[in-house]
Amino acid sequence: MALNVDYVARETGTNLVRNVGLTIATILTVVVSLVLVGAAFLIRQGVDNAFTTWRGGIELIIYLEPTATPQQTAAMRTSLADNPEVKRSEYVDKETAYKEAKKLFKNSPEMLSSIKPSDLPPSFRVVPVRGDVATVKVLENQYAKSAGVREVFSANDTIRTVQAIAGFISNLVVLAALILGMTAAVLILNTIRMAMFARRREIEVMKLVGATNWFIRVPFMLEGLVQGIFGSVLAVAVLVFGNNLFNSQLDKRGIKLLANFAVSNSDVTGISVILVVVGITVSVIFSGIAASLYLDV
Amino acid sequence: MITLENVTKVYKGDVVALKDASCEIQKGEFVFLVGPSGSGKSTMIRLLNREEVPQAGKIFVAGKDINGLSSWKIPYLRRNIGCVFQDYKLLPNKTIYENVAFALEVIGRPKHVIKTQVPAILELVGLAKKQRNYPDELSGGEQQRVSIARAFVNRPLILLADEPTGNLDPATSVGIMRLLDRINRTGTTVVMATHDRGIVDSMRRRVVELDRGSIVRDQVRGVYE
Ligand SMILES: Nc1ncnc2c1ncn2[C@@H]1O[C@H](COP(=O)(O)OP(=O)(O)O)[C@@H](O)[C@H]1O
Ligand SMILES: [Mg+2]
Repeated sequence: MALNVDYVARETGTNLVRNVGLTIATILTVVVSLVLVGAAFLIRQGVDNAFTTWRGGIELIIYLEPTATPQQTAAMRTSLADNPEVKRSEYVDKETAYKEAKKLFKNSPEMLSSIKPSDLPPSFRVVPVRGDVATVKVLENQYAKSAGVREVFSANDTIRTVQAIAGFISNLVVLAALILGMTAAVLILNTIRMAMFARRREIEVMKLVGATNWFIRVPFMLEGLVQGIFGSVLAVAVLVFGNNLFNSQLDKRGIKLLANFAVSNSDVTGISVILVVVGITVSVIFSGIAASLYLDV
Repeated sequence: MITLENVTKVYKGDVVALKDASCEIQKGEFVFLVGPSGSGKSTMIRLLNREEVPQAGKIFVAGKDINGLSSWKIPYLRRNIGCVFQDYKLLPNKTIYENVAFALEVIGRPKHVIKTQVPAILELVGLAKKQRNYPDELSGGEQQRVSIARAFVNRPLILLADEPTGNLDPATSVGIMRLLDRINRTGTTVVMATHDRGIVDSMRRRVVELDRGSIVRDQVRGVYE
């Protein structure tokens, strides 16, 4: 069916300006909820970047001597596998360790240039059955004296606390984003319902003369699309601006400790794309639902 | 063109609006539906337009069983049926030209078609000079002409009119009837619900009389009674 571009543009425009207040409120709600979703992602990403080695319940890292023999490595593997206190362990060879170091120090190339893969010790990352301090201490002492072991590190309380707090905050942010997301959805439904109610005479005539339901719906769905586009583009702008501000503060104040929390531009781009896609899809779907729901005005 | 086979329509609350009604209307006929208020005239019109579906019986329009019509096909059925109502149903914020053009626009007719068809139909109903006016600047009779123009601009096979003269004085009604007669002479089947005795008696066309939902009379060249 030939959709008349003039008609669609005119109707969508009228709908958008008919209730500017509600349109703006809807867009802002979309912005805030998407910004929160994005922020939660970025916090998670930052924490993950900072503690790459301490993810997924890893409490203990056993560093072997760079000169450790394959026999010593194999013995350690068997010992860990047989230990009832060890839930899981993972062997990290020199190359993998170097890749992680590259990621960790991407913001300080001078540090990276001083490292070679052969300098890095291979290690075992250990997830114990119970993660309490006492158990971890016992394991630490047990393996510190094994053959070929250089050093044993355990996750200290600071790392655990930061991870826990960050996890809690990002969960909280996700929850807030969900609530706001629902608010945005309800607002979109409502904008469309009001637009359709205002146009009920037109819709009645359209049905009478044989306009298809799709034809009737399209201008209203486009209204949702425009709201989704504005909302998600603004949200991305806020996030990029916020992330740059955070990074520049890290640099300016020379907070070395937090430098690892920086999120790369590719991460931000990835999240932005996700937000735009989600924002637009959700608003189009909801306006489509609303347009079908309220077509019998 | 139109066939009703033992059609029964019951609204919620057990209101029987149409009871076992059967009737056949040929292409090009002009039929009056008469009967007192509440006898089921509007219901019959709405059934033909598939605004309502019957509880029992079959309805064929242009050879198609419209009860079984899937919902996405209904718009295409309605493109073959023009509708005119007592209250005109014009859009107050559109000019006369725009009101008529709207009917073509929303079924996706191309612009050049709209630009030629709309002035032609407004000429036919005698309102070429009022194209730029708004509905509230027109008399009742003129507004009804616009609504007829809108219903007929797409050259439908059937024109349904539900009390089109209900709000008009007798002199104006005569003008509307002339217009409907003219449309009928182009081959369009016209079904008109009315309880205007004078009109029915003067036109001497087929009369189908309803009484409490039943067809009690079907007469060629009939009168109101
Ligand atoms: N939408 C409806 N819901 C319930 N009852 C209705 C509805 N429309 C009409 N009726 C009832 O159906 C009967 C026939 O109504 P209608 O077809 O409008 O008659 P007419 O047009 O001849 O006056 C009346 O009793 C009326 O009250
Ligand atoms: Mg009626």
